[in-house]
Amino acid sequence: MAADFGRKLDARRWAGWALALAPLAFLAVAFFSPLWEVLRRGLLVEGQWSTDLLRAVLADQYVRHLLSFTLRQALLSTLLSLVLGFPLGWLLTRYSFPGKRSLKALTLVPFVLPPITVALGFVLFFGHAGHLNQALMWLLRLSEPPIRLLYSLWAIVLAHAFYNAPVVARFVNVAWEAQDPALTEAARVLGAGRLRSFITVTIPGLFPAVLSALALVFVLCTLSFAIPLALGGARYATVEVGVYLLARVYVDLPRTAALAAVVLGISLLLTYLYLRGGGLFHTLSSADRRQPTVPLACRRHPARLLWLGYLIPAGVVFAGPIAAVIADSFLRAAPGGASPTLHWYRLALSTDTSALLGASPLGSITTSVAVAAAAAGGALALGVAISASLRAVRSRVLETVLMAPLGVSSVVLGLALLLAFRRPPLSYLPPGPWPLVLAHVLIVYPFVVRSIRPLWQSLDPSLVEAARTLGATRREAFGSVELPLLKPGLLVAGALAFALSLGEMTAAAMLARPGLNTIPLAIYQFLSARRFGAASAMATVLMVVTAVAVLLWERLGRVGEAAEQ
Amino acid sequence: MSFLVLSGIDKRFGSVVAVDNLTLEVAQGEVVALIGPSGCGKTTTLRIISGLERADAGRVFLRGKDVTSLPPEARAVGLVFQSYALFPHLTVEKNVAYGLRRMPRRERSHRAKELLQLVGLEEHGGRRPHQLSQGQKQRVALARALAPQPNVLLLDEPLAALDAALRTSLRSELKHMLHQLGVTALYVTHDQAEALALADRLAVMRAGVLEQEGPPERVYMRPESPFVARFLGRANIWPARVTEVRDGQAQVDAGGETFTAPAGQMRTGDKAYLFSRPEDVQPGSGIPFQVERAEYQGDRWEVQARRGELEVLVYVARDTLLGAEVQLSFPPSSFQLLPRESDR
Repeated sequence: MAADFGRKLDARRWAGWALALAPLAFLAVAFFSPLWEVLRRGLLVEGQWSTDLLRAVLADQYVRHLLSFTLRQALLSTLLSLVLGFPLGWLLTRYSFPGKRSLKALTLVPFVLPPITVALGFVLFFGHAGHLNQALMWLLRLSEPPIRLLYSLWAIVLAHAFYNAPVVARFVNVAWEAQDPALTEAARVLGAGRLRSFITVTIPGLFPAVLSALALVFVLCTLSFAIPLALGGARYATVEVGVYLLARVYVDLPRTAALAAVVLGISLLLTYLYLRGGGLFHTLSSADRRQPTVPLACRRHPARLLWLGYLIPAGVVFAGPIAAVIADSFLRAAPGGASPTLHWYRLALSTDTSALLGASPLGSITTSVAVAAAAAGGALALGVAISASLRAVRSRVLETVLMAPLGVSSVVLGLALLLAFRRPPLSYLPPGPWPLVLAHVLIVYPFVVRSIRPLWQSLDPSLVEAARTLGATRREAFGSVELPLLKPGLLVAGALAFALSLGEMTAAAMLARPGLNTIPLAIYQFLSARRFGAASAMATVLMVVTAVAVLLWERLGRVGEAAEQ
Repeated sequence: MSFLVLSGIDKRFGSVVAVDNLTLEVAQGEVVALIGPSGCGKTTTLRIISGLERADAGRVFLRGKDVTSLPPEARAVGLVFQSYALFPHLTVEKNVAYGLRRMPRRERSHRAKELLQLVGLEEHGGRRPHQLSQGQKQRVALARALAPQPNVLLLDEPLAALDAALRTSLRSELKHMLHQLGVTALYVTHDQAEALALADRLAVMRAGVLEQEGPPERVYMRPESPFVARFLGRANIWPARVTEVRDGQAQVDAGGETFTAPAGQMRTGDKAYLFSRPEDVQPGSGIPFQVERAEYQGDRWEVQARRGELEVLVYVARDTLLGAEVQLSFPPSSFQLLPRESDR
């Protein structure tokens, strides 16, 4: 390699490594060192490295139950998500009908809908005295509730499917729309019937996307926390719930650390497998032409009305729980018996400290919003710095190190920070919700990186070069060309970060202490005390704040664009 | 004094030599076309002049000033990118005004409008790049590069992304504009027709080396190597041997036939290539050739014919009745002898 070329490349690489310094230092203090402490506690017995604790934990009946239950429920949830989600993806791709755009947008809701609100909705809707049972008893004139779903494997599986079927639908829809319609046309011209071309051309084309979606759903369900905690309890607990119970309820630190090491191994393995498999999905080519659609409601094809057989039950499963939460927040009778009432909202917004929450309800709300704002800001800064350094340095090692929190389950992260804040340097931080802010920055920033990086890569490098030849320095070119072009992505990433932090409950549960409570925790606490009115009001507040944040960011992005036009 | 001087430029990418000891001068107001097949180093040369790449060796002078180690923003060169690289988040007018940021606000807008008028897009200042056609984008890119009155305008295949008809019309428009404004320009293209039509001077590059330079007519009519002969237009090139030189005329043996050609520097016994352009070969009488392929092109027939080892391309008038045989004569002035050793 010629000297000067090498020199220039080195200069660029050095700039990239220099950019990576700040994120690396941050991760070392807030992530790697706390995680190391967890491993040390789980694997170090009296100063000696040993697998004794690990083996003891793995031999434990309860832990074995946790592991097998976790995998069983994840597998079933994934399959049910596929069964519920694939038809929706199909519907969204092949048919045109009024409200299709809204329905498509709704498939994104689960990405930002806090799982604890789903759990609450399930209790209210499918519960023993829930709306569905009430309706069925009234309709069929039964004296006993016909559906006994709660506090079982199936409640968890159905809630996971509710949550993840739209993910499957979205992957299927995106991949299907990207498929070149000429492929099936070619198959038809070559003599394949409708069914044969569907089976031999369309389905194989969707395979990578479906596998990708299933892998993602499996990871999400394995590491799910709020839903099994609220719908399963100690008996139907997953490993994530197990770590939480050991740490915060039984306060058995060595066993917690050993189980956390196991969970860490599982989450790293699953993330690795998912990321390796996920590459498949991105190799799909996109077509110039859109997939043709046909109207859903059509006199000549009455058979298409069979879709109602899917749409109506699916609509009940999807809309029922959310509607139940909003309805109950107004309709649950207040202590005096009044209904409808705003009593529950007055309670949710009260500043009186509640013994149940260890904080005032309004205090939980302000903490949540403050933490989410700080976490979104921190995640954006960290995400931009990491994207910039990964742009300059193409190193798998650096990428793996900088993105490592992606592969660590939230409960392990929460445990790590719980332990880390007892020791310097993090114990030097002034009092405040810092543990939670750090946890949420670490949980959320990989999503920021993943939404900015592709956008940045797709920018034509000659844009910056053009700016340079027109007299702009490298820094001016970044400010006047790259940054404005990245802005929509940054806004979306910021909204996503805010919403994810707002609804996050796993790390929050690990790190909660008197005076540090968040909205999802308050919902969970009200729910487990069976104070459904208060829980519903809190959950509605959470959904409203999330929706307002997302819409506001989106509006800001559009206003920014309009101002430039 | 030359306006732009490249002296002894070397550039490698890994083990690939992109530019090899390139020396080139461009005078003020001159339009020079840098032409060659893709990968010959012409775009790299442009990027070195603009400062987007650093040369491994050699120096770049602009208006007598050594700019070799200056960053691109300090060189005041205009560069029109092949992809145009218009800023998608800015309006057309703001794109054009981008390089005028040191100017007072009012002057800047005035200048941008002036340039848009020059390229005939004064109505489109408020649009975004994605609302423009390819040809309009090309004009905006040109206006943007010209707005700061650069020392030299560099154009990197500026017409390559356009369809054939638009390319031809924009070509003459561009030529007119460059000469009217008296812009000093270096124009990179692999399209020989474009280079011949636009440039005051051609510089033909091959594998990083400047093969030949000069006015378009001379380079076309008097190529110095088979490569240049083949790259600019169609050529008949036969391996030959000089059998006799007398009065500046050489008797040449090629494929068993004897031809007469201007001797140039050739001496008896030299190996050479005998070169002619198809349009200089005269059909009608002379040596009979077998017709191998004939293609009707509307205004004429393009005929490929053979006699033994000699393969020839020739144009025949469209009303000629073609048989299996065509008789061709080769006036001595249609021939040129090219050195055979130099053919790499």
